Amino acid sequence: MRKFALAGNPNSGKTTLFNALTGSTAHVGNWPGVTVDKREGVYKRLPEQVAIVDLPGIYSLSPYTPEEVIARNYILDEKPDCVINIVDATNLERNLYLTTQLLEMDVPVAVALNMTDVVQKNGDKLDAKALEKQLGVPVVEISALKGTGIKELMERAYKASSQGRKGSTVLASSPLGHVIGDVTIALAGQKVPNPLFHAVKLVEGDELEVKAHPVEMETVAAFQKQSAGSLAGQDFEALAADARYKYITANFAGAYTRAKKKGELTRSDKADRILTHRIWGIPIFLVILFAMFHLTFGTDFLYLNTIVGWFNGGEGFAFDVATGNDVLDSFTAVFFCADGISTPGAILFNLMDFITSWIGTGIAAGMEAIDAAAWAQGLVNEGIWGGVGGVLSFVPQILTLFLLLSILEDSGYMARVAFILDRAFRKFGLSGRAFIPMIMGFGCSVPAAINTRTLADDKERAMTNRVIPFFTCGAKAPILAAVCGAIAAEYTGVSPDLLVFALYVFGMAMAIIMVAIMRQTTMRGEVAPFIMELPAYHAPQFRNLMVHMWDKLKHYIKKAFTIILASSIVIWFLQNFSWQWQMVSIEESILHDVGSFLTWLCTPMGFGLQLEAGYGWVFAVAAVVGLIAKENVIAAFYIIAVGIGFADVGQSEDGIAEVVYLMGETGITWQGLIAYTVFNMLTVPCFAAAATVKAETPKGKFRYTVAFWMLTSYVTATVVYLVLTWWWTAIIVAAVAAAFIAYVVLRNKGVIGRKVGSENLF
Amino acid sequence: MLQLLASAVGTVVSVLIGVAAVGIVVAVVVLHVVRKKQGKGGCDCGCDGCPGCHACHSHTDPKQKKS
Repeated sequence: MRKFALAGNPNSGKTTLFNALTGSTAHVGNWPGVTVDKREGVYKRLPEQVAIVDLPGIYSLSPYTPEEVIARNYILDEKPDCVINIVDATNLERNLYLTTQLLEMDVPVAVALNMTDVVQKNGDKLDAKALEKQLGVPVVEISALKGTGIKELMERAYKASSQGRKGSTVLASSPLGHVIGDVTIALAGQKVPNPLFHAVKLVEGDELEVKAHPVEMETVAAFQKQSAGSLAGQDFEALAADARYKYITANFAGAYTRAKKKGELTRSDKADRILTHRIWGIPIFLVILFAMFHLTFGTDFLYLNTIVGWFNGGEGFAFDVATGNDVLDSFTAVFFCADGISTPGAILFNLMDFITSWIGTGIAAGMEAIDAAAWAQGLVNEGIWGGVGGVLSFVPQILTLFLLLSILEDSGYMARVAFILDRAFRKFGLSGRAFIPMIMGFGCSVPAAINTRTLADDKERAMTNRVIPFFTCGAKAPILAAVCGAIAAEYTGVSPDLLVFALYVFGMAMAIIMVAIMRQTTMRGEVAPFIMELPAYHAPQFRNLMVHMWDKLKHYIKKAFTIILASSIVIWFLQNFSWQWQMVSIEESILHDVGSFLTWLCTPMGFGLQLEAGYGWVFAVAAVVGLIAKENVIAAFYIIAVGIGFADVGQSEDGIAEVVYLMGETGITWQGLIAYTVFNMLTVPCFAAAATVKAETPKGKFRYTVAFWMLTSYVTATVVYLVLTWWWTAIIVAAVAAAFIAYVVLRNKGVIGRKVGSENLF
Repeated sequence: MLQLLASAVGTVVSVLIGVAAVGIVVAVVVLHVVRKKQGKGGCDCGCDGCPGCHACHSHTDPKQKKS
């Protein structure tokens, strides 16, 4: 089977083309660096099947980051039959820089001028034929998004792959042409494949090539020494880059004619003037973030009820739609609540709760009808359905959150977020590039940790991997939703969406603070420069949004019926059996004994020995099972609540009712619950995420990362509990923080202790 | 007679539930161990949509690829 590789600049549309060619549903995002590893699929509409390999985006073939190494090594080592170079037609000159390097390899190349739909929309003109003549390889206009030109592209690439191709360079006529020719001959004599490409890279001083061909490097060094005139003392890499751009401007620029005059702002530019504003950029981001959480977790849609209350002497809407019919009234409650009209997320959540409760009631009735043993009824109603149903109730809210996140990502706004955060936090040691995997952490920490490969600096990678779990992932969202919903239900005037938003922002703030601390203590060093192309805004693609949602739904359902189901069974068993394998009350159970062992540890955080009837163990156990999967915390709440005496079996698996019940029974305060949530947000992530971070962390350093998570979560949750419970402790905390900052500053300046260099302690 | 039959059904169903519960736990654990040994990721995320899915399925340190 022939192999075609898709290569191009980041965010040029490779993965969109890959999906269109292979029918895959690979993640597509409107920001650079979404793909960090190669992936394969098959194109079946040619005389023979062709394997398609989607490579990470690269700006040049001189790699600086690991994913650029992957792309380069694939083309060099795997020798694809054709390289399809995806070129963003709206940024022709910059994209052709990579094309000029690909042409130096002895491999057939076909150029796909992508985004021609945008070119036409802008009223610009593109001359593909002139470009084809200049480049000497097939050039086809396509729109990967609309699916136009793809068939022609594949046919011409297939034809090109049958003919073979010798490398050529645009540097031949440059001042470096002579030395490149000499080195090419030397390498060809040694039967090195792609001699021209290696020769050019040697002349450019490419680190990998210099190591691989030390003898030929001597020729380059000698040439450099003998060079006089304009070449004397010049950096050959910069010279080659300059020569390439000059060639591109002279020969290819004419192929693109812009309708707009130079300097005229596009719609994206105009939007960026507001959205990436130096002062308003971050407040706008926070407002957008809050709007997202309001639509997902809020109960009073657009605060209409509150606003009406302001003008109506404190009386909001009076929704008295009770009909007396239980089913009808339950259904009406899906759309309206005491707070007014429900938000879209709350409506879906209520609807799902209505369905899961209905199923739960049915299962309970069925188990009773067949006269199943009491333990079997308990296992099915409380253990299996309670745990799984509790988690499933949150699926609609998680999907709503992901839909809104996907809209932000697909529109191109997320790339701006990295940009505005870079500007604000660079002085604290954070690079905007590191924010991209962090923002991905809102979805799942696993792909976010993998995405840290795009960071060239090892220290930056290690720091980013440590704080990614602080960006609350989809699995932790149910904990926040249940806890904040319960606090809002118990205390009037508390808005659940505002509380969830505050906790999300707190997680982000902790990430920024911890990176700043590491930059000043254990991971000193320069912040890597951040250069990112801001993609043009576009309307989110319906297909992309649905693909993202479908993936999340599949993931959630699969997880609910595997890990969560198995965990729920184990928790129920441990809660109902003693060490002697006899069915006992919860106070004599294995779970109680194991949990009680941990209770004293949780006391400083507000959910330990101070709880009534020794129920501190409840929260410790839920946090521990959350290590398997964070959704388990909610499953554990339900199962344990029922074990204690929660009588709402089969009536509500919404997570909130269970937390309200636990608040009443255990006496945990809202401050303790917030501290508990903070602890879960910042502590060791689920096993899958921890394993991924381990794989992405240098050998031997992972233990420090685990210690970092445990210490940070423990100390922060303790501080949060203390400050929220006794406000004056904030003064002590502020004094300790000030003393720590002063110590670090003085130590770094060498005023006290040993002056510390840039060594990496952990 | 009917009561006896109902009781027998209840007992059989209860035993089946117990066996199924043990089976589910064992199957999930074994599946994860096997997947781990095969070098497949254990995150259970939707791999089709994951930007780093290849890393889970044949994990290699990208730094080792430098040559």
